[in-house]
Amino acid sequence: MQSIILIVSLVLMAVVALAFWRVIGAVNTDVEPVNIGSRRSKLFWGLVIFGLLVTVGSLREWPHVMASGNEVVQVNATAEQFSWEIDTQKIPIGKKIVFNLHTKDVNHGFGVFNLSGRLLFQMQAMPGYINKVSYIFEKPGLYKVRCMELCGVGHHDMNDEFEVVTK
Amino acid sequence: MSETKFEPHTGAVKFTMLVAGAVFALMMLVGLLMRAAQGNLIELDPALFYQLLSAHGAGMVGTAGLSGAAIMWYFVGRYVPLSAKMYWAFIALFLLGVVFILVSIFIGGYGAAWTFLFPLPAMSAGAWEPWAGALFILGYTSIGVGFLLYYLAIGYPIIKQYGGLGRSMAWHVAFGGADPEDGPPPTIIAASVVTVFNTLGIVVGAAVLVASLVNLLVPGFAVDALLAKNMIFFFGHVFINASIYMAVIAVYEIIPEYTGRPWKTTRIFAIAWASILLFVMAVYPHHLLQDMVMPGWMLIMGQVVSYLSGLPLLVVTAFSLCVYLIGSKMRWDLASALLVLAVAGWSVGSIPAIIDGMIVANKLMHNTQWVPGHFHIYLLLGEVAMSFGFMAWLVRSRNVSEEGLSGLDRLAFGSYVLGGAGFTVMFLISGALSIPRRWAVHLPEWVLQDQIATVFGLLVVLSTLVIVLKYVAGLRR
Repeated sequence: MQSIILIVSLVLMAVVALAFWRVIGAVNTDVEPVNIGSRRSKLFWGLVIFGLLVTVGSLREWPHVMASGNEVVQVNATAEQFSWEIDTQKIPIGKKIVFNLHTKDVNHGFGVFNLSGRLLFQMQAMPGYINKVSYIFEKPGLYKVRCMELCGVGHHDMNDEFEVVTK
Repeated sequence: MSETKFEPHTGAVKFTMLVAGAVFALMMLVGLLMRAAQGNLIELDPALFYQLLSAHGAGMVGTAGLSGAAIMWYFVGRYVPLSAKMYWAFIALFLLGVVFILVSIFIGGYGAAWTFLFPLPAMSAGAWEPWAGALFILGYTSIGVGFLLYYLAIGYPIIKQYGGLGRSMAWHVAFGGADPEDGPPPTIIAASVVTVFNTLGIVVGAAVLVASLVNLLVPGFAVDALLAKNMIFFFGHVFINASIYMAVIAVYEIIPEYTGRPWKTTRIFAIAWASILLFVMAVYPHHLLQDMVMPGWMLIMGQVVSYLSGLPLLVVTAFSLCVYLIGSKMRWDLASALLVLAVAGWSVGSIPAIIDGMIVANKLMHNTQWVPGHFHIYLLLGEVAMSFGFMAWLVRSRNVSEEGLSGLDRLAFGSYVLGGAGFTVMFLISGALSIPRRWAVHLPEWVLQDQIATVFGLLVVLSTLVIVLKYVAGLRR
């Protein structure tokens, strides 16, 4: 998913950069801008329609939807400068897991990384609040937890892991 | 109504840009040190890394605000009489704040970043004393008071001369059917809108600063962390955006001197600035997309407004610049090249920012190096390029303009673009590889990206030194 985001971003960035490059090439030429109003209008409505489609498509299913029902496994994670306390070290594969995130001190970020080192999901830990996220793991193995919000001088040392097991 | 009548405060603004240029260069060097340390090219104690991170963030955001403010002061000074005393009071309060912040970081050991996220300034795990956190916050407060004075000094004469805030923001043109010829010039519209939203942003920032200060002095006084976070990101987002929207006035005023085509007030321009006023203030929840306790409608608003914020930039500012450039008899020199680069960089940088503002993408990209990736594009290749372009224009000589870009100019400009593009794209790639931002120590598998980024960063620093030194030489002419 991250690779797709990167490629789409770089392509769109290149399109904008190319548009500027073409304009710079048209400086000091006899080319005159034509149909300015119509072109601006097309650009505006094109972007509005594109934005509408992307917005509806990306929010049709609420990204923070919570798993519910009897099959849900609750996992509590608590952050503290500069360590994690995760009450379940062996997490079942294929089940709906709800992570309940607490913090004892400052803001932290609970980032879960897959076996290839890519971020699967994250959420913020905030004093006085419990943030929740649900996820279904599809591969067994050791998953890393890393802090994603600057929390002090040991921020980069705030690592932990849990195991996703088949049984 | 658009004729210029007054003489701007050139000396004060030149001094400000000298300070801004020097601090930009110094802070870039600090940034380079941090990337080199992440790449294991040099050794930095983690505590020092987080101090440098705080200095870099506060220094860059503050200097972006300062340079934007200087640009706006200069050009608004062409249309309305401004008080030099008020400007110097602003500069004095700003510099006082800088001293507080430097002492807090480099003597007190403060390392909670420029965002001072509550309650981190008061809970350092022994890394710094409460007085350092308090001094950092007092430094921000001093700078904030300076900016409020600045906006008072700029807002009052504008309102007086243009017949009210609504008219100075050209709402009668945008929504009342008035002839654009009867509207204020683009500079006044931009200045009025920025004055409104950044005043509100700073007032909200001041409230959370005071709450944080009381919490530092009386730890039993707790602030709701979610409320504090909302206020901090509202303030931070509005302030950094204000710096770009102030600096873009340089494009409105200077580019016409090169193209021979005036940047006019139109109905679309007035509507765009009315929408900017709304969008800049409504978009900040896109910084809180991973706080599930936030109301869902606010997160949706953050995503939607994040996208909408790109429209005035792409459809009006960037599009209009392109129209003014095509077929014009443009003279390229360092100033004009940097100003065009700045609009291009701002536009390009808006794309990864908008993508990060989508909740589904934010789940994977938030607080990875994707974030410094996108904001470095529209700051390094946007706001800072606008400031450098303005500096080059301030000390231009007729001969230089007629001769165009010298060999040294081409080298500096080319290195700045190449270094800036490479440096920021490496951040984006690192973000896509899930490398967290703001980590003092990197895992071995992340080091190569850091090292490549360091080489590009070095190019940026060297080209910046040339641009700033050329400015200094120009001042001495």
